[in-house]
Amino acid sequence: MTHRKTAALLSIIPGMGQFYNKQFVKGFAFLFLAICYFIAFLDFLNIGLWGIVTLGTEVPRDHSIFLLVNGVISILVVGIGLGFYYFNIYDAFQNGKKRDNGVKLNTLKEQYHNVVDKGFPYLMVGPGFLLLIFVVIFPIIFMLLLAFTNYNLYNSPPAKLVDWVGFKNFIEIFSLDIWRETFISVFAWTIIWTFTATTLQVSVGIFLAVVLNQKEIKFKGIIRTLLILPWAVPAFVSILIFSGLFNDTFGAINQSILAPFGIDSIPWMTDPFYTKVALIFIQSWLGFPFIMAMTTGVLQSIPGELYEAATVDGASNWDKFRKITLPMVLFTTAPILITQYTFNFNNFNVIYLFNNGGPAVADQNAGGTDILISWIYNLTMTSAQYSKAAAVTVLLSLIIVSLALWQFRKTKSFKDEGMI
Amino acid sequence: MKKLLSLPLTFALAASALAACGPQEDSSSTGGKKESAADKPEKLVMWEDQEKGAGTKDAIKKFEDKYGIKVELKEIPMLDQQEKLRLDGPAKKGPDVITTPHDRIGPLAIEGLIAPIKVSDDVTKLYTESSINALTYDGKLYGLPKSTETPVFIYNKKLMPEAPESFDDVLAFSKGDKGGAQYGFLANWTDFYFANGVLSGYGSYVFKDDNGTLDAKDLGLSNEGAVEGLEYITSWYKDGLFPKGIIGEKAGPTIDGLFQEGKVASVMNGPWSFQGYKDAGIDIGVSPMPKLPNGEDVKTFIGVKGYNVSQFSPNQEWAAKLVEFITNEENAKTRFEKTAEIPPIVSLMEDPIIADNEAAKAVAVQSERGVPMPNIPEMAEVWAPAANALQLSATGKSEPKAALESAVKTIGQNIEANHGKK
Repeated sequence: MTHRKTAALLSIIPGMGQFYNKQFVKGFAFLFLAICYFIAFLDFLNIGLWGIVTLGTEVPRDHSIFLLVNGVISILVVGIGLGFYYFNIYDAFQNGKKRDNGVKLNTLKEQYHNVVDKGFPYLMVGPGFLLLIFVVIFPIIFMLLLAFTNYNLYNSPPAKLVDWVGFKNFIEIFSLDIWRETFISVFAWTIIWTFTATTLQVSVGIFLAVVLNQKEIKFKGIIRTLLILPWAVPAFVSILIFSGLFNDTFGAINQSILAPFGIDSIPWMTDPFYTKVALIFIQSWLGFPFIMAMTTGVLQSIPGELYEAATVDGASNWDKFRKITLPMVLFTTAPILITQYTFNFNNFNVIYLFNNGGPAVADQNAGGTDILISWIYNLTMTSAQYSKAAAVTVLLSLIIVSLALWQFRKTKSFKDEGMI
Repeated sequence: MKKLLSLPLTFALAASALAACGPQEDSSSTGGKKESAADKPEKLVMWEDQEKGAGTKDAIKKFEDKYGIKVELKEIPMLDQQEKLRLDGPAKKGPDVITTPHDRIGPLAIEGLIAPIKVSDDVTKLYTESSINALTYDGKLYGLPKSTETPVFIYNKKLMPEAPESFDDVLAFSKGDKGGAQYGFLANWTDFYFANGVLSGYGSYVFKDDNGTLDAKDLGLSNEGAVEGLEYITSWYKDGLFPKGIIGEKAGPTIDGLFQEGKVASVMNGPWSFQGYKDAGIDIGVSPMPKLPNGEDVKTFIGVKGYNVSQFSPNQEWAAKLVEFITNEENAKTRFEKTAEIPPIVSLMEDPIIADNEAAKAVAVQSERGVPMPNIPEMAEVWAPAANALQLSATGKSEPKAALESAVKTIGQNIEANHGKK
């Protein structure tokens, strides 16, 4: 038997392979870590893995949700353990291979230098990465798993246990009439909302930035300050104020702005179409200053020679904007523009605070302007449909993640280092 | 490839091996842990609504002196308590007694967060029947009432010198000179909580009351009475007496704002609004709701706040005793003096302390006319569709009958989907 095979086989007990390779300190470290791992986690893993498979068997001793949490943590802990275990075997195998090939093994000192030189970045990143697993990955897995349970009012601990139900929640979203119809109409409006509101806020922002960047404009400072204001006032407050301003009867928009022009009062809050228009307007108002500020910054960095050269070539102002300014701006700001879209896709604030998803629409479970996120909120808050809300959230995340990934990968700024 | 496959395989193997174990021995130990009921605990923890703690301090002191059990009082906003109990309870940090509005009783009992209590008939007789009904779910009593509230008729004495007897009078007033106000009367009747008073007055019901048990399959929101009621409500919007700006989610605050500015002579609102109106400098008068045109009373929704015993409490019997003690007549009276929340105690209704207090009396009288909000979890499915129907009818987008029928259909489907398979 070759050294590499013996070493790898012996490593089934962590550290033994290293002993075989006569790397005693490393072997001790591995063995010690392994023993510690089992002493610390054995009970926890036992209950945790049992819990995530069964979600409890006895009321009120077992609390399904806590068991689920323990289970997810156990899986993560097992994953880390297995990673370590794999490394232990791999290490023994590699060193055995070196012995087979007659290469001298690293001495303790060399090993130490090896770790410090090559492994240093990993050592630094390691703790943060561990933290990341529990802070970022853990909640996502937990939410994901909830979508496959029947966690709702009637199946909630401590009175009842929660069970695994497979894809039932997802099937129901599309098979039950009342769910499907609501889901489709809410989803359609979410898409329209995302694209109109964001595109409008982006174009207004870029337009204003370009206009303000013209040499002929005076009092730039004051104008810019004024235009930044919508961004400076907390959106939370502005939206509530807007909801008052748009009131059908008492709001200033109908009473003081439109009435003097002889326009009849528009049902901003009671007609779904006008509510949508109002929402898109408000979001553009709230969103454009950020784009404008960002674009202004980008504009400063476009070299003047480009424009001079264009002028020499006889390009019109429009040509210059289309061929120089816009590509430059879009190229630099693309990643942020994409996040603007994903942000509005989940822009709970403006929908909820303006009219709480209203006005009413007959025969469906959501209001006329509810987007997916505000609908999910109502779902969990009023009907305690936790698992169904989780299922809708999973669908929603799938959409956003795939769109964002696709867009990011298409964007040049993520591929190239620069354009100029 | 093989290497890649072997990893999850080993993992699955290990997991299944471990999963077979589980907590084998500790199931027996939990059974023996329960202490006998007579054991006196050292202390009980009680969660009271925010800013209402002052009302119970005296009672707690007496309880401590009488039984020698310390009571720790914590103020937590009432609506946050259930959420907190859900986490604190299993962690053994929870309270023994919590405060809950009665319409949460059903869901909380189903979740197993609160425990039924046993008290003698002499105790339940102290309270109004409707308030005890409100705290009863599935035939079991889940607490004792702390206070009751319901919308009443609030008027601006400067604009409307006296409370009208009937809605016909209110209508006449609204169509007349309104005492100089812009509107004679405003109510948030696109909110089902307020509108139900009118609908019920005409003979509708949410769930059929079957001797104290509510039948979620029998919805009465689209019966003749409901249609008649909604037609009456809609007529207020049609005649322009209610402006379009008070439809939908933001109607409540708008009405409050107009009333506080003195532009409205009278409104329909609950006791929680009194202080705000007074703070705005309005000299308010309060009376029970005027009679409907058909001669019936407005049967408003009553809300009953109660003290309940946590299921997680190891001393449930002592906790129940504390609830009983705090809500008895004497302590309820003190509490009313301190917090102005009206306890639904029969003998106190005639007591000068309430009878001479105009606002308290109005709420008490109106409470006797109203119906408790349904406390079964199916009620959660009613609010939004019912409000939709009210809104669609008020804006003239559908006829009252069609709107209500569509609402009942939606409610039925939602109940079937979310509560069908218990």
